[in-house]
Amino acid sequence: MVTAATKAGPGPFAAARGKVLGCDRCGTCLPVCPLFQVQDVERASARGKNALVRGLAEGLIPPDREAQEALEFCLLCRACTDACPGKVPTDEAMLQVRQALADTLGSTPLRSRWIGRVLRRRRMVGLGAATLAGLRAVGLHRLLPSQLVPRETSRQAYLEKYAGPALLGAPDPRPEPALHPGAKVAYFQGCGMKLLFPDASRSTQRILAQLSPFQRPDHPCCGLPHLAHGQREAFLELAQENIKAFEAADLVVTDCASCSGTLKHLAPWFADDPVWADRAARFSAKVMDLTEYLAAAGYRPQALPGATFTYHDPCHLARGQGIRRQPRQLLEQAGKLIELKEKERCCGGSGSFHLEHPQAAEAILRRKQEDIQGTGAQVVVTACPGCLIQLTRAAEQSGGAFQALHISQVI
Amino acid sequence: MTTFTAFEPEVLDGFRDAVGREHVIESPLEVFGYSYDASFLALDRNTMPQAVVRPRTTAEISRVMALAHERRIPVTPRGAASGRTGGSVPLQGGIVLALDRMTSILELDTANMMVSAEPGVRTVDLHDHCARHGLFFPPDPGSWKFSTLGGNVAENAGGMRAVKYGVTRDYVMGLEVVLADGAILETGGKAVKNVTGYDLTGLFVGSEGTLGIVSRALFRLRPLPKARGVLRVVFRTMDEACAAVQEMLLDGVTPSAAEIMDATCLEAVARARNTQMEEGAGACLILEIDGDGAEALEAQSRRIEAITDRAGRIAFRSAASKEETEAIWAERRGLSSAVAAMAPNRLGEDISVPRSAFPEVVRRINAIAASSGLRIPVFGHAGDGNLHPSVLCNLADPDQAARAHQAVDGIFQAALDLGGTLSGEHGIGITKRPYFPDAVGPVSLETHRAVKRALDPLGLLNPGKIW
Repeated sequence: MVTAATKAGPGPFAAARGKVLGCDRCGTCLPVCPLFQVQDVERASARGKNALVRGLAEGLIPPDREAQEALEFCLLCRACTDACPGKVPTDEAMLQVRQALADTLGSTPLRSRWIGRVLRRRRMVGLGAATLAGLRAVGLHRLLPSQLVPRETSRQAYLEKYAGPALLGAPDPRPEPALHPGAKVAYFQGCGMKLLFPDASRSTQRILAQLSPFQRPDHPCCGLPHLAHGQREAFLELAQENIKAFEAADLVVTDCASCSGTLKHLAPWFADDPVWADRAARFSAKVMDLTEYLAAAGYRPQALPGATFTYHDPCHLARGQGIRRQPRQLLEQAGKLIELKEKERCCGGSGSFHLEHPQAAEAILRRKQEDIQGTGAQVVVTACPGCLIQLTRAAEQSGGAFQALHISQVI
Repeated sequence: MTTFTAFEPEVLDGFRDAVGREHVIESPLEVFGYSYDASFLALDRNTMPQAVVRPRTTAEISRVMALAHERRIPVTPRGAASGRTGGSVPLQGGIVLALDRMTSILELDTANMMVSAEPGVRTVDLHDHCARHGLFFPPDPGSWKFSTLGGNVAENAGGMRAVKYGVTRDYVMGLEVVLADGAILETGGKAVKNVTGYDLTGLFVGSEGTLGIVSRALFRLRPLPKARGVLRVVFRTMDEACAAVQEMLLDGVTPSAAEIMDATCLEAVARARNTQMEEGAGACLILEIDGDGAEALEAQSRRIEAITDRAGRIAFRSAASKEETEAIWAERRGLSSAVAAMAPNRLGEDISVPRSAFPEVVRRINAIAASSGLRIPVFGHAGDGNLHPSVLCNLADPDQAARAHQAVDGIFQAALDLGGTLSGEHGIGITKRPYFPDAVGPVSLETHRAVKRALDPLGLLNPGKIW
């Protein structure tokens, strides 16, 4: 009888294969995979991609561009892992196999290459942010596609719409004392917040300033876009730069779920590195998501009577970091929270996925938009710029049925 | 890259004409996804089909089958590929006929308490649809959240509630089947009493896709139970637990599920959930009861409390709240992964014995575990004699792999020796095929072959399965 004996020796795909060995192809992940929901062929499902990893490792599938494309088609949302009886980490397998394919083929897919190049250079990100700020000032950013440059809703616009004129300009509520008295807090401003959601980023900084003085060290990208697309060397370099940049801080707070998720999990990548292992572990231990920090610090948002919210859980916050309670706690203090149907289902943003696979992302977003409208809430709130790109688009497509805002803009 | 040569262009065009160009998959990378199921068969280039054809209607299936028949192309039907025995794995190339686009629930007939649906409907979706109308579709295979009805019928799927409500076969009233040459057969119907001709419906239930393609199924339903409760009872031995279940059935207090687990399972669960096992616990029953309301449940619970007391239980808990119910079920649901976590690999088996032989087959499995040096936790459905021994091993170690397969052989032998069968609910497929002729004997084997020859003379339907 043929059995599932290990056939593959060490090879470029051995590490990825190791991640999926626990998959017995039962099918539990099929109904929960957002991509399989919109593209019902086996290749698009989590089970299908895990099988492809084994197929590559066992020499049944050639390591070519088609395989690379197929394995890029994953949101890394972990919905499959959550449902899986054996907790197979498909997302980690995807990072490994994309790296192995990039190494084998000598390059990552063209579509994800440019984004890595831009985000790798701090000056480019800064330049981009400044350019976009200039465009926004005169309204020209609307000429760019909204998947690329979302039409951010400002906190001011939100307050004007829901709070009534009396509240405008009123002093912000006085916060309770900070989590660690005297802790040196630093703000990690991710590329998405800096480039695409400057108003939300200002809101975050406004809240941070109420709790304690904070630093804003010069730092690069968190490296997730590179890690996700087979550019591990770039990711490791960026990680080292970040570790250095925040050496003086006791707490690193970020308002991007993808950044906090990535930065909290740096340590394993340096586990075998005698120079960096300890520094990486110390750094990761200092990272907090904004909502996690605010809840722990006892921040009390100003209540806006009459405001109704629904909350979309970013994959990297809920499943990635187990942070579900804190944002809800903050929103319940700020207004009325109406829970979203399948609130943890990925919105289809996933870094640059929505640019690389616009049709699939759009189909996923349509379902999300229906669910948001089903709540009747005025505002859909989230805690990651990746999601906010998608949700802002959904808000536009809803014809004003709801607005999309970052949590820092409503608390 | 397959060992089978590509189809001639006019064959591919024929399939494309039948189902639409975008529903014929031929890229090797895509086709690879249709070369496996949830059995422990290794991935293999020899099980890659030449193409995957995805019809949407019965008429499309008929056209595909007619073409396959004309060109002598093997056809392997597939739903969600969640089967455990290789039933949907193509062995001779040809096409995989993927029925996963046929997802319509066609008619819910509340007056006759019946529902008809297409083969690609997920089991849970049919259940939920009926439940919204106060009706109950009982078959509940462990895979019900992702398995589909075509597979349920083809494998005659069981589930936890079989002890009280039976298996898929007990609910199929009629089928629409596309035969090997593309002809469309209707069997059964809504008349409850029906003895007009052979029971062709029964012939196709459990036929594993070897006799025809089920394109529509008509199921009877029950009223949805108004209340459900959960009990957890711990015993010192599996014998005591089994005796208690038998006593319940004799006494007419039939639980709607009677899940049993042995000491190794309890240990696995305790380890996974970070809880403590009861002192001296050797077996545990998780019982579901259902009825007309709280009073009916209370009465059943009291009777079961008395019966299990006489059988020598050491702990009894009746879930009093939703949370407690959830906690008890979580233990059962987490069992499979808790057991899987005990070793790199697991050969999960599915045997069935007469209910009275349950304790004896467990004793024999324990003996096999001792002689093979491998752990074999046993859990199963105590009420219907269907059990799932899991041989824990590391298949990367050739010596262990050999011992594990010997252990599986021994388990099958034990089941047969005690008047049982090779499969309770997973089917024979590929993985149990070597055991089939001995299990059924020469006359039954020849009868199977005669039926197969009559319905599929060219041997094109799911070739290489069952025997």
